[in-house]
Amino acid sequence: MKLLLLWIPLLFVPAVVHSNVVLTILIFTFILGILAVSFNLIFGFTGQLSLFHAAAFGLSAYATYLSMAHWGISFWLGALVGIVFVTLISIVIGAICFRFKLRELYFAIVTLAFSELARLVILNWNGFTNGSLGINFTLTPTVWVPGRGVIPVAGTLMWYYLSLAAVVLAVVFYTRIVHSWMGRCFASIRLNDELADTLGINVFRYKLISFVAGNIGAAVAGSLYAFYISYIDPNYFSLDQSLAIIAMALLGGREFVAAPIVGALVLTALPHVINVNAEARLLVYGLILILTILLMPRGIVGLAARRRRAA
Amino acid sequence: MLQLVVGQLLNGIIVGTLYAIIALGVTLTFGITGIVNFALGAFMMLGAYVTWYLTDGIGIPYPLAVALAVIFIALFGLVVDQALFRFTRNNLINGLIVSIGLISVIVAVVLMIWTTTPQNMHYVLPGVFRIGGVIVPRMKACVFVVLLLVILFTYGALTRTWAGRAAYAYAQNPEAAALMGVRTNVLQAGVAAYSAALAGLGGALYASLYSITPEIGSGYILKGVEAAILAGIGSVMGSFAGGIIIGVAEGVGSIFLPSAYNDAYGLVFLVLILLLKPAGLFAANR
Amino acid sequence: MLLEVRHLTKRFGGLTAVSDISFGLDEGNIVGVFGPNGSGKTTLLNLISGVYPPSDGQLLWKGEELVGRKPHEIAETGIVKTFQNPQLFGELSVFDNVAIAGHLRLKRHSGWRRVATLFPLRRRVSADFEHRIREILRLCRLEPFGDQPAASLSYGGEKMLGVAMALMCEPKVLLLDEPASGLGHDEVRNLDTVLRDLRQQGTTLCVIDHRVGFLGKLADRAIVIHHGAKIAEGRPDEVLADRAVIDAYLGRGHA
Repeated sequence: MKLLLLWIPLLFVPAVVHSNVVLTILIFTFILGILAVSFNLIFGFTGQLSLFHAAAFGLSAYATYLSMAHWGISFWLGALVGIVFVTLISIVIGAICFRFKLRELYFAIVTLAFSELARLVILNWNGFTNGSLGINFTLTPTVWVPGRGVIPVAGTLMWYYLSLAAVVLAVVFYTRIVHSWMGRCFASIRLNDELADTLGINVFRYKLISFVAGNIGAAVAGSLYAFYISYIDPNYFSLDQSLAIIAMALLGGREFVAAPIVGALVLTALPHVINVNAEARLLVYGLILILTILLMPRGIVGLAARRRRAA
Repeated sequence: MLQLVVGQLLNGIIVGTLYAIIALGVTLTFGITGIVNFALGAFMMLGAYVTWYLTDGIGIPYPLAVALAVIFIALFGLVVDQALFRFTRNNLINGLIVSIGLISVIVAVVLMIWTTTPQNMHYVLPGVFRIGGVIVPRMKACVFVVLLLVILFTYGALTRTWAGRAAYAYAQNPEAAALMGVRTNVLQAGVAAYSAALAGLGGALYASLYSITPEIGSGYILKGVEAAILAGIGSVMGSFAGGIIIGVAEGVGSIFLPSAYNDAYGLVFLVLILLLKPAGLFAANR
Repeated sequence: MLLEVRHLTKRFGGLTAVSDISFGLDEGNIVGVFGPNGSGKTTLLNLISGVYPPSDGQLLWKGEELVGRKPHEIAETGIVKTFQNPQLFGELSVFDNVAIAGHLRLKRHSGWRRVATLFPLRRRVSADFEHRIREILRLCRLEPFGDQPAASLSYGGEKMLGVAMALMCEPKVLLLDEPASGLGHDEVRNLDTVLRDLRQQGTTLCVIDHRVGFLGKLADRAIVIHHGAKIAEGRPDEVLADRAVIDAYLGRGHA
C-alpha cells in the first residue's frame, strides 16, 4: 500500500514538467511497464520463461487495429477483442505446453517456436496484415468526456494520464494475484513443482492461469502501444522485442510486482540519455541481460531492498 | 518435375548438413554441460564473417582462412564459456538468458563493423557436377563432404577415444565420472570450444555458398535446436539425421508451398516431437 | 478397510523394485513398514501416492481405484506423503511453507468462493487459517522458527517441517518416509507423541523407518519388505521375532 504514495506524485508530474521528451519517456515507461510486469508474473513469480510474450503483445496490437478497421468498433472494444483473442490463443498454447509437462527449457523453446510461427503468419498474410510493410494508423482511440462529448485521445497529456491509469490498474491487478493464495501456488510451482504436486496443487492449472493472466497484460500493452505510436509491423514479434522484455524484468527486479517498471524506465530513457544508434542499443540489451543475470540477479529494486534491509 | 524434386532433395540434404553441424554443437553442449547455447548461431555467423574477411579482405587462401576462422571461433567460445557460462552451470535458465544476451552483443558488434549490407564471397570452387541430369554446384558438394567427414569424425571420437567415452560417461552421471578421474572442468571447457569450432566451421563453409548478413545466425540456431531435439539430445548421428530431415522437408516443401513458410516446417516438427516423443526420434541411451 | 493395496508391482526396465505386494490399512491404525535399504519401501509409498504409476496391481481407496490418478488428485482424496529427503520451499519462511500446504484445506473450506478472496478489501490471510498454521507449527516444535527461511533449519527441523506440511493437508492417511531418521532423541520422542495424537484423532498412518525401537513400539501392525516382496506381516513383536525377518534384516544380534 505504500506504493500508492509513489503513484500520487506521478499525477502531478505534467503540471511541473513541461518537457515533451520527459513525458513521452514516461508514457513509454508506463506502457512497456505493463508489458514487463505481466511478463514477470509468468517468469519471476511462476518460474516459467515464456518467449511468447512479445507475440501476445503483437497479436493484440494487430487484433485491436484490424477489428476496429473492419468492424468499425471503438478502441475500447477493439482492445477487448485483442484481450479475448490473446486469451484464447494463450489457453491453447499453454494447455499444449503444460499438458505435456514441458520443463523450463523446452517450454522456452516451444513458446519461441509459437512466437516465430505467429510472426511468420503476420509477415506473410499480406492481404490482411500488409506484411512487412506494417500498417500506419488512421484511427485513434476516443473517449467520452463530460461536457465535451466524444474526443480523440491525442496529445501527450491525454496519453500520459491514460497510460498512467493503465499501469496503475495493471500493478493493482497483479499485486492482488501475487499476494493471494494463488500467488502462493505460483511461488510453490517456481520453487519446487514436484512438492507442490504432492501437496494437492494442480500444477497444470496454475501454470496455465499464470500464463494466460500474464499474456492478458501483454495484450493490453499491445493495444495501447500500437495506438500511441500509430503504427504496427511484424517487428512487434521480433526476438529483439522479447529480449527487451526479459531485460526490463531482469533489470528492474523479479521479486516485486512493480519492479520491472524500473527496468522499463531505464531502457526507455537510455537512448535519450546516451546518444545511441540501433546497433548500440542492441549491444546494451545484450550486456544488460548478461550482466544482470551474473552480477545483479535481483535487479535494481532487489538490490535496493537488500541494502535497506541491511542498513 | 522429378528433376525438380530430386534437385530440391539434394539441395535440402546439403542445407540439412549445415543445420546438422549446428545441431551437433547444440547436442554436445546440452548433453554434456546441460546448457543450450543459443549463441552457437551467432558463432556461426561470426565464423562466416571472419572467413569472408580473411579471404576477400586480406587475401588469405580460402582453406587456410577456414582453418583460422575455426580456431578463432573455438578460442572465442572457450573464453566466453570460462568468463560467462561457467557461472551458470547449475542454472539452465540463467545460462539460456546469458546466451541470448551474448547473441545481441555479437550481432551488435558485427553490425557496427560491417553493417547489414549482405556480403558475398568470391567463388571458391566454381563449376558444377552433373549427376544424371541434376546439377549440383561443386562447392556445395564439397561443403557436404567436409561436414559429413567432421560429423563422422566426431562420432568416432566420442565412441572410440578415451576422451570421448569420458564425455559420454560424464553426460550420464557427472558425479561418478568425476570420481573416476574425469576432469570435469576440462571436459566442459573442451566441449564448449569444440561446439564453437563446429559452428565456426559451418559459418566458414556457409560463406562460400551464400551471401552473409548479421542475421543468418538466428535462423540456423533455431534450425539446429529443432534438429537436435527432433533427433534426441545426445545422439550424434541423430543430429545429422535431424538436420537432413528438416533440410529436405524445407527443400521439397518449397515446391508445393510458398517459400515464405519454409521456416515453419522445422517449427512444426519441433512442437510435434516435443509433444509426442520428447526423447526424440533416435533417443540415445542415457 | 480404508486403503487396500493389491498385488502392487513396479518394474523399472529390468529391475523389479516392488513385487506383488498386498496389504490393507484400517482406519486409525499405524502400520510400520520395515526392510533393508533398497528393499522397495520408498517405491511402495511413491506408488501409493501416485508419484509413479504401477506396472501392475490395484490401489483401492474405500473401494475406488486410485491407479492412474495424478499426485495432486491423490493428495486431494486424503492420502499425503512426506519425503525421505526433505522437500521444502527453501527460499520461503517456515510459516509460508505450511501456508502453501494449506491449499487443499482452503479449497475444501471455501470451494469456489476462494476466487473472490483474490480481490478483497483486506489482504491478510484469514485468522482461522493462520491460527491453524501456528497450531501445527507448535505441534511440530517449529514455532520459534516461523519467520526464518526454511532452508536455514537443521536437518531434523526440515524433516519436522515436512511432517507439518503434510499435516496441513488434513490427511486421512499419512504416509511417512523415514520421519525419524536424522532426528535427535528429543525430537524422536516428540514425533512419537505427535503421531500417537494423530492416530487418536482418526488419522491412519503408514510409516517407514529404520529405527526398529521407535517404530516397533509405535505401530499396530508391521510389514517387512525384502527385495521388493513382502516377507512378513503381523503384530510388531511377532514379526520382529520371525526367523526370516531376522535373517534378512535384523541380524542375529538383534534376536
